[in-house]
Amino acid sequence: MDIVTLGGNLLGTIPLGDIVLYLTPFNLFLFAVLLGFTALIAFSKPETQIEAAKFNTLGVAEVKVDEKEFKQRRFLSVICGIASAGAMITGDLFNFTLFMALVGILNIGIVSAVKQTSVLNSAFNYGLIAMMCSLPLFGGAAIILAATGTLSLSVLSQMSASPMVVFGAILMLIGILGESGVAPFFASKAEMFRTPGSPFIVIIHLSSLFIIVRAVEILLLVLW
Amino acid sequence: MNLMAEILIQVIIAFLAGSLLLGLHRKIMARVQRRPGPPIIQHLLHSLKFFFKETGFPRTVSKVFYIGITFILALIWVVGVIAGPVAHDSLLILFGVYAVYKIVEHNAGSSSGSPYGKLSCVRAVLSAATELPLFAAIVFVYLVTGTMNIGEIITYQSVNGPLIFTIPLAAVMFFMLIITKSPYSPFAITKDKALISGFETEHYGLLRGFMHFSEAIAWYVMLWVFLTIFSGPLTAAGYLIGMILITFITAFINATTPILSPNHSVMTQITIGAICFFGTVIMIFTGVVA
Repeated sequence: MDIVTLGGNLLGTIPLGDIVLYLTPFNLFLFAVLLGFTALIAFSKPETQIEAAKFNTLGVAEVKVDEKEFKQRRFLSVICGIASAGAMITGDLFNFTLFMALVGILNIGIVSAVKQTSVLNSAFNYGLIAMMCSLPLFGGAAIILAATGTLSLSVLSQMSASPMVVFGAILMLIGILGESGVAPFFASKAEMFRTPGSPFIVIIHLSSLFIIVRAVEILLLVLW
Repeated sequence: MNLMAEILIQVIIAFLAGSLLLGLHRKIMARVQRRPGPPIIQHLLHSLKFFFKETGFPRTVSKVFYIGITFILALIWVVGVIAGPVAHDSLLILFGVYAVYKIVEHNAGSSSGSPYGKLSCVRAVLSAATELPLFAAIVFVYLVTGTMNIGEIITYQSVNGPLIFTIPLAAVMFFMLIITKSPYSPFAITKDKALISGFETEHYGLLRGFMHFSEAIAWYVMLWVFLTIFSGPLTAAGYLIGMILITFITAFINATTPILSPNHSVMTQITIGAICFFGTVIMIFTGVVA
C-alpha cells in the first residue's frame, strides 16, 4: 500500500541509502505526542498514592516513590519515550523491531524498582511473554528480508506480498502483540499499573498503544 | 474559507452540538426510567459553569500531569475535529487520537493519587479491549474502499452506496465503541459509580471544565466519523438526524442495561468484536462483499 494513502500527504523524506525516513501527518502526530509526553515526564514529580491503612479505622497510608527509585524510573521512562518516538518515524522494518524490543525491556525496567510483590509478579509474567515473543518479532522481520531482499518500508510498500511475506508479517504481528502486551496479553500487564509513579506508568501504556498503532501502518504497508 | 476560521467554527459547532446531544442523552435516559430528568441544555450549562468555579489542587497530585492532562485532552479532540470534519484526512490519525484519549483517561486517574482514580486507571488499561474492534473496523473499511482517506471514502460511497449495507458487522464493531464511550454505558468500567466519578473524581473547577469541553467534542467527533464512513455523503440535516438517532439508541440501551463488572465487560466486547470480525472476513471471502 502507498505511504500517502495510509498516513496522509508526505511532508518530507530523509534518504539514507536504501532506508528512507519519511514523515506524514499520521507519523508526525504520533511522534509529537510522544515527545510532548516525554518532556512532561522529564519535568514532573510522582504523585503520593493514598491507600486504606487497615480495616475498621479511618486511617490512610501514603505510598511515595523515594528519591533513588524516582531517578532510576524517570531515566528509564525518558529513554522509553525516545525509543517509542523513534519507532514512530523509522522507515526501516528492522529498526522498528529493535525499538519495539527496547520498549518491552524498558517497560519491565520502569516497574522493576518498586517493592510491591503483585506488581513485580506482573512484570515477571509480562517479561516472560515479551521474551518469548521476541523470537517471532525478529524472525518475522528476517523472513520478510529473506523474501524481498530489503527492509526499507518505502520499497516494501511498492512490492506485492508473496506467501513468505504474509507468513513473516503474521509472525511479526504475534511478536508485536506479545511485546507490547495488548489483548490477549494485557492480563499479565494490567497489575503493573497499580504502583505509584503516574508519570512513569503513563509511558508504559502510551508506548504500547502507539507502537500498536504504528504496527498497523507497517503491516498494511508490507501486506497491501 | 480561511483554514483557521474553519477550524474555529467547527470546534465551536462540535462543542455546542456535542453538549446538546449529551444533554439529550441524559434526558432520554431519564424519560425511559420514568424520571423527569434535567433540561437538555444542562450539560452545556455545567461545562460553562465549571470554567468559572474555583480550582484547587489536592496535595497528593503529580502536578504537571494533573494539570497538563486536561489541556492535552482538549487539544487532542481539537486535533480530531481538524483531522475529521475540517480536513477529511486519514482514518489512522483519528485512531491515533482515540489512542491518546485512552492514555489521558489513564493518566488523569493515576496522577491524582486518589485510590478511586487509580482503580479507574487500571480499568482503563483493561478496557483497551475496545481498540481492537475499532482497528478491525477501520481495516475492513480500507479493504472495501481501498483508501484510509475520509474524503475518498465519502466519494466511494457516493458511487457505490453506504458502507453500512456492504459491511454491516464492521459498523456494529464501530457502534460498540460508541456505546462504550456513551455516558452510563454498560461498558463504562472506568466511570463506574463504585469509583465515584472514576478518573474525573479529583478534577474540579477549570480543569473539570476542560474535561466537559472535551467530552462534548469527543461525542460529536465519534458520531461524525461513524456517520461519515458508514452512511455515505450526508447533508447537515442528515448528520443532525443521524446524531440524534444514535444518541437516542445509546441512551435507550444505557437506560435499560446495568453496568457490567470489568471482566464481563471485556469478555462481552471481545466476544462481540470476534463474532463481527470473523463474520466480516467470511462475507469478504465468500464474495458477499464485492
